[in-house]
Amino acid sequence: MKLKKLAKVLLSCVLAGALFTGCGGGGDKPAAEKPAASGEVKLGMITHLNVTEKKMDDILKMVEEESKVPLTNFTVTYYDSLKLMQMGIESGSIDRMSLYTNVANYVIANNDKYENVGDSTLKNLSDNFCFAVRKDDTALKDELDKALGEMKADGSLDKLVKEYIIDVDKGQAPPAIEIPMSEGADTIKVGVTGDLPPLDYVNAEGKAAGFNTALLAEIAKRSGKNVELVDIDSGARASALSSGQIDVIFWVVVPTMEKLPADMDKPEGVELSDPYFKDNVEHLKLKK
Amino acid sequence: MTFTDLLYKIFIQDGGWLTILNGLWVTVQISALSLLFGTLFGALLCFFRVGKFKPLKVAAQIYISIIRGSPVLMLLMLLFYGVFARTGLSPLLVAVVTFSMHTAAHVAELLRSSLMALDKGQVEAARTLGFSKWQAFKLVTLPQLARIAKPVYQSTVVNLIQWTSVVGYVTITDLTRVINNIASRTMQPMITIMGGMIIYLALSYIIYGIFHWTERRRSQ
Repeated sequence: MKLKKLAKVLLSCVLAGALFTGCGGGGDKPAAEKPAASGEVKLGMITHLNVTEKKMDDILKMVEEESKVPLTNFTVTYYDSLKLMQMGIESGSIDRMSLYTNVANYVIANNDKYENVGDSTLKNLSDNFCFAVRKDDTALKDELDKALGEMKADGSLDKLVKEYIIDVDKGQAPPAIEIPMSEGADTIKVGVTGDLPPLDYVNAEGKAAGFNTALLAEIAKRSGKNVELVDIDSGARASALSSGQIDVIFWVVVPTMEKLPADMDKPEGVELSDPYFKDNVEHLKLKK
Repeated sequence: MTFTDLLYKIFIQDGGWLTILNGLWVTVQISALSLLFGTLFGALLCFFRVGKFKPLKVAAQIYISIIRGSPVLMLLMLLFYGVFARTGLSPLLVAVVTFSMHTAAHVAELLRSSLMALDKGQVEAARTLGFSKWQAFKLVTLPQLARIAKPVYQSTVVNLIQWTSVVGYVTITDLTRVINNIASRTMQPMITIMGGMIIYLALSYIIYGIFHWTERRRSQ
């Protein structure tokens, strides 16, 4: 009786294993052959906050017109997070991932299966990163802008960029973040997703240690406020912000190009801070 | 990097396993509390549902059909970001309330279907033999009900544990969130998520084991 049960469990494990490897192995083949046949590259992108895919297509067309980087010959698939996009490329449903340079470097440093596509035209594409707050929360926006201005002026922003982005991309663990906690001060609640290292990053101990978090902690220190970190799924960031469960979200992107309106993908009811970081687009693929 | 090194890096290094255990503890907490309150509330709902009092019966019917017919994530988001948004209730509490509500509807239906499977004549016979209503329920209906409902209840428990994997949407760091964070940090989503699956599977097998054990004890 017991033996029979054991055999059953073993058999189901083997079946599950076969299913997984089967999916991976089967998926790889068409990915390698298809682009050559159709002349089209299947590209994965991470969804922007609150932008529909239709609107995103329009945006891509505008970007293409201005930057002269051919973008519309890609077939774009949108993913909710980098993790899902990685699973997409590993199973062969896309050929390339569109990422920012610092994130791409992090991916390559941590997983040697990936390499750069080396498409030099992409250097013309870049985006700015900024914080997003609720529209009626103008006091917080002003505070963020003021502190960001100060930090740009005295060089502490560059120091954070080195510590939390450049060094982390080289494989170092980011330094722990000192979260300001003083009695009686106002608290800024910030949503952390951990989905986009090294910008939005959660370390092995389960604590947020990304560049964005470090930056916000520094800003709070300057303006004498407390910070409360809230771990949240990236799909729920917009709902959490608008309902007041959190006050700030980051990893919001605005284009750097002149002709494009800076707030073209801004959700309603949301106000954006001054940009604090600029990065280029980079495409990654699996090593052959 | 060998596969073992990779596993070490993903699941053990720098106290990663402790973070996973913390996440697992949150999942277990939410599941256990929701199961307790959900079962109690579900039994009450079933009582209303099969009872003779019309308004309560209709109310229970409506409640069960709405909750059973809608995804639990929607209910969770609605409660946390809508109904309880300004009250400052802790997300953990809102999650327990949501999953209790959800489990209750399922438990009510499973109890009702078990009741329907019973032979009505036995209770009538017991009543003619002079048992009171309560005695007939306790001595005739309940033991049979428990036996019929048990296998379905077991799968409700296992389902509940899996449903709780969406609480990351309401700022709770449960097992799924921890696994997701690790997958993003280590850039190895496939292996990490498989590891997470194995942990959930183990949890389910513990539940199966407990039910199996009670079954064996009863038959001895």
